[in-house]
Formats: sequence, C-alpha cells, structure tokens
Amino acid sequence: MRISVVLIFALLFSINNSFAQKYMTKNGHIRFFSSTPLENIEAHNRQVNSALDVSTGDFVFKVLIKSFEFEKALMQEHFNENYMESDKFPNASFNGKVTNISSITHTKDGTYNADVEGKLTIHGVTKDIKEKGTFTVKDGVIQGFSKFNVKVADYEIKIPGAVVNNIAESIEVTVDVKLEKL
Amino acid sequence: MKKWIKVLAVLAIIGIIAAVLVFKFVYNKPHPDFEKKKADYSLMAKELYESYKMDETAAADKFNGKVVEVSGTLSKVETSGELVIAVFEFEDGMFGPEGVRVTMLPNQNDALKAVDITGEIVLKGFCTGYNGVDVIIEKGSLVN
Repeated sequence: MRISVVLIFALLFSINNSFAQKYMTKNGHIRFFSSTPLENIEAHNRQVNSALDVSTGDFVFKVLIKSFEFEKALMQEHFNENYMESDKFPNASFNGKVTNISSITHTKDGTYNADVEGKLTIHGVTKDIKEKGTFTVKDGVIQGFSKFNVKVADYEIKIPGAVVNNIAESIEVTVDVKLEKL
Repeated sequence: MKKWIKVLAVLAIIGIIAAVLVFKFVYNKPHPDFEKKKADYSLMAKELYESYKMDETAAADKFNGKVVEVSGTLSKVETSGELVIAVFEFEDGMFGPEGVRVTMLPNQNDALKAVDITGEIVLKGFCTGYNGVDVIIEKGSLVN
C-alpha cells in the first residue's frame, strides 16, 4: 500500500515536472520579406502558435496563412488566392527539434545559439530543413529568433508570369517567438 | 492643330486617367473595413469552436475568410505588445486552455478593455481559421 502511494506521488511529480518543461506562445511573430529590383513585399503574422519542450528539444510552430497581413490589400488577396491557395492549404507548420537543447540553460539568463532541424510544411509540401537561431533567456521567458530563406519553387508555389519579376525566388523568413512557461 | 495630334492628346489623357484610377482603386485599394462589414455568420463562440473540433475541413470551408459574429462570456482579455485579444476558453488541451481568440482592431482596444467581462459579449471579425488549438478571429470589433 505504502509503495503504491509513493509510486502515485512519484508519477504525479514526474507529470507535473514534464509540463513545467514546456514553454509556449500564441502570439509569436513571423515576417516574410521578398526583395526584387521592382518592389519589396513584406507580410506579418502575429498569431503564431509555438511550443518548445526544453527537456526533449521538441519545437513546433503553426501559422494560419490567412493571418498574414500585407500593406496592400491587393497583395494580400493575391497571396491567399493565387500563390498560397489558403482555402486549400490553410496552415503552415514546423515540427522539429532543437538538436543542441542540452547546451541551452533555460533557467539561466543569457543568449544561446540554437541548431534547429525538422520538417517545414508550406502549401501542402513538406521539406526537411536545418537552420540556426538563438534563444535568449530572460526572467524565465525564452525568446526564440531565427532568420532563414525559403525558396518559393521548393514548396510548389507558382508565381504567374506577369508578376514573376516582382516576387523573389527566395523569401526571407524571420521567426520571433516569446515563449513563456506553461 | 492637326486632327491626329488632337486624337493622340485625348488618348494620352484617357490613358493617364485610367492608370491613375487603376493605381488608386486596384493596386492601392484599401483593406476591407471589417468594423462596417455585415457578418456572414452569427453564432455562439462555443459553437464555432466545436464546429472546428468536430469537422475541421467542413468548418474551414464554411468559416475561413468570412466575417463571423460570435457571442459568449469572455474568459479573459489578453494583451500582447500592441495587440488586445478577447479570449473565450472552452477546454484544456496539451498546451493549456483552448477556444476562440479575437484580436481586436486597434481602435477597439480601449473599448474591449473597458468591458465588464462577466456579462455576455458579442464580437465580430475576420475568421482566419483553426490552428489546431484555437479558432482565430482578427480585425475584431465590439457589436454590443
């Protein structure tokens, strides 16, 4: 009997402890930026869901395509209807790991380099990616930051000939998430 | 002045006017005014959430990209940087409470903060979809 009680407490403690290892946000920020001699285009999404498990390094984020905001309404329309086909593919996601999570001390303030790899899904196409970023720990909050490039053609996003010179072949993606303990 | 010069001048003026109109009303057309737009659907926030939970594809076909009016009792009002978010929470998921999140238009932030959240509230906005955790509505405004 006594052993059972001890086991139950041990189990409860381990469950509680594993939850304490998760950090998340529902208001992360992703920006993408396309630069060509004809024009620069940028869009922002401030509704990014992201979670990091500091005990395993599991790192995920998910974004709704329709939540990207452009300066020009026409660009936003074309982005959703013609390029990203957001009715057909409403989400983009990343599912992967921080491979050097053991070198990131989430309890100690500081900026740590992060190696991230996993599967990035955009426009219904999933590709393996390996990128670098940083995690800045401050007052119990982990700020994740990464800037990388995504080739439009890799994700089978077709740009009509009329605007092919207005949109870069490679789009700069910036991820900025402020993860708080769950 | 020769007739063909007059014709050319008129054509040039028409061309310039057309270019200006296209620039103003097509290329530079304003974003929709979601505060003034009539709602495509009006329902309880919980019904909207449950629609996505039950059949995400069917709910997405119906609500994504539409102006949706939701009612219910708010669980909290969240602030994140410049964003003010009305949060309806309905159940606990792996990453905490899940429900419907309405990000307000900037001109609605103060009005929402002043609302007594213990009563029923009606909000309207642009539904961008379900991210596996919450239904997201943006450009939100207070209806009552």
